[in-house]
Amino acid sequence: MLVFAASDKGGTGRSVTSANLAYQRALTGDHVAYVDFDFGSPTAAAVFDVPGAMRGTEERGLHSYLEGETAEPVRIDVWRQTEHPLLRARPNQSGRLVLLPGDAGGGEFATGEEALERCVDLLLKLNTEFDVTFVDLSAGRSYAVDMVLAATAHPRMSNVPFRWLVFHRWTRQHVIAASGLVHGDHGIIGGGVLSGHDEDTLRAAVRFVRAAVPDPESAVWSQGSTAQATWMQARDEALRRLAAEHRIGDSVVLGIVPLEPILQWHEQLITEEDVLSTQIANKETLDALEEIARRLTDDTHWGRL
Amino acid sequence: MAPRQSTPPAVLACGEIRTCLLPARQALDIRSAAQLLGLRPGERVLLSERPGLYARSPDTLTGVDCPLPSANGARVRAVGTVTAHAALTEGRVLQTSAHCRLPGTGPDQRRPWGEYLVRPGVVEPLGKLPHEAVAQGVLGGPRHGDLDVGLIADGLLTRVLRHPLLDQRPPFRSRPTRLRWAALPAAPGEGPSLERFTLAEDELRTVRLRVPEGTSDAGIAALCDDLALHDWLLTTVVRMLDGLRLGAGAAQDADAVVRTLRPAVDHLLHLWMPGARVGRRLAALWDPLEERPGFTRQWQALVQRIRDQLTLHAIPAAHREVEPAP
Ligand SMILES: Nc1ncnc2c1ncn2[C@@H]1O[C@H](COP(=O)(O)OP(=O)(O)OP(=O)(O)O)[C@@H](O)[C@H]1O
Ligand SMILES: [Mg+2]
Repeated sequence: MLVFAASDKGGTGRSVTSANLAYQRALTGDHVAYVDFDFGSPTAAAVFDVPGAMRGTEERGLHSYLEGETAEPVRIDVWRQTEHPLLRARPNQSGRLVLLPGDAGGGEFATGEEALERCVDLLLKLNTEFDVTFVDLSAGRSYAVDMVLAATAHPRMSNVPFRWLVFHRWTRQHVIAASGLVHGDHGIIGGGVLSGHDEDTLRAAVRFVRAAVPDPESAVWSQGSTAQATWMQARDEALRRLAAEHRIGDSVVLGIVPLEPILQWHEQLITEEDVLSTQIANKETLDALEEIARRLTDDTHWGRL
Repeated sequence: MAPRQSTPPAVLACGEIRTCLLPARQALDIRSAAQLLGLRPGERVLLSERPGLYARSPDTLTGVDCPLPSANGARVRAVGTVTAHAALTEGRVLQTSAHCRLPGTGPDQRRPWGEYLVRPGVVEPLGKLPHEAVAQGVLGGPRHGDLDVGLIADGLLTRVLRHPLLDQRPPFRSRPTRLRWAALPAAPGEGPSLERFTLAEDELRTVRLRVPEGTSDAGIAALCDDLALHDWLLTTVVRMLDGLRLGAGAAQDADAVVRTLRPAVDHLLHLWMPGARVGRRLAALWDPLEERPGFTRQWQALVQRIRDQLTLHAIPAAHREVEPAP
């Protein structure tokens, strides 16, 4: 299965969350690929702690591949190449976790017919090798988004299952923006239909992930005053109504990742050790990531509503 | 410039093979295989049904003019053509294979194209060929811009995989492998020998051979295609078994075991036929591999494990776990 990670705005938590989802899937035994199509800022490598490709690889990255300069894009075996001490000892029974980095300083580029064919070649190849392939897309209605919409509508891809995750933060602006990215005039659905997708089918394959959401109930906020708590509850309620009005309400939410202090400091994978041994991360965060990773392939959470 | 009559005998042949599962739900029958591999209109696809279904495309030629890879840093330019073909075994395993042979010396200056074209599959050095160093360079992996027959095999694979006949629904997940080979001259009077077979990386194998003068490079390529096919089969089945979480003991496990191993039975176990398509003289090169690491022995052990697992898990869960007596 292919999973496209999109967001309207930058800095929503798209890369960090989807990298964590990839990690969680690999832990359960799936072979997982993580494709960095975030052409503007290829930083996924930093989250996996693979040093050589911190800001994209020097050569033979995904841009070079799509532009036909290299036949096979570089692959980084995360378990083997990460500098993260816990990840290096590949967890027992885990599947492969492979990162395909972008090129350093690649930037966005115009897609042509041949780049599209090459994109299809790549996605098909990954689909034969990996159980789940995550594709991190640049923010907004980017070239990367257009390219994968066209690729997934390509006749050669008609038997390849795919799903979309749209990430957004839990504020008024972000809710409206995320809805616009999907449902707006020039949104993913509209653009997908122009590329040849069936509207209902495409819509059924899109779910939302609310990232970095402060939970008013959480211990983190319990120090605050009653007035603060009441205010937060009211905002939360209002946001949920707003989301529902914008067709991104609870029924199409795959999961909610709580605001996690360590992620505000450092883009990283959250391991069980972070929660159990050193206790620097919150259990709720890990639980949420595990649950979203599980729901990715649980059909009861997908489909038409 | 007067055209040359002949080239000196080859002192090096090299090639690379890509092997992967055909991305299609059903194995292709012989007619579909012929369609898939009909790369050049008017040229026949080689088809054979015994032993086992096998189809091979006509050869394609790719012109090259670039430095040769070499282990000692020598940058020898070479010009000529590389031969490539695609092959399908039992309608299930797809291979593309590119190779060429290189004479010990070539003209000091580049000749007109026409002269190279009449020698398909020959790549001539400008001047003298440091063949040992180049063989090592080939096996070590060419640098960007050097002659890279692997790229040609990869390009052909990409082309075949774009064929509309393929529904892109492989029956199970698997990884492609690459096998690079280089064949150097054997000592006078010696027969062919396999000097080295290495598992270089996860998916890369390298093979170093010695062959008597006059051994056809098509014959060597056929041997290496065969090695690559069987190595891929072993690798793939080992990975299938690795993917099992044995001993967890839950009832749902039985389903998972059957789901994981069934495809091996349906699609792979009957493909093991080492040496079946290799000329008699070169087929003897299988012997050292059969001794150590013992390809067929390994294969039989794997087949047995798969059969055992399937038998075990076909039995209802209640009877499988024996309670220890108090
Ligand atoms: N659950 C969370 N709690 C707190 N901070 C988070 C959370 N998830 C992500 N972050 C932080 O938010 C910042 C932005 O995240 P990330 O880089 O994943 O966003 P992005 O949407 O990929 O951005 P860009 O468009 O720039 O690629 C990072 O510093 C990240 O660590
Ligand atoms: Mg990002």
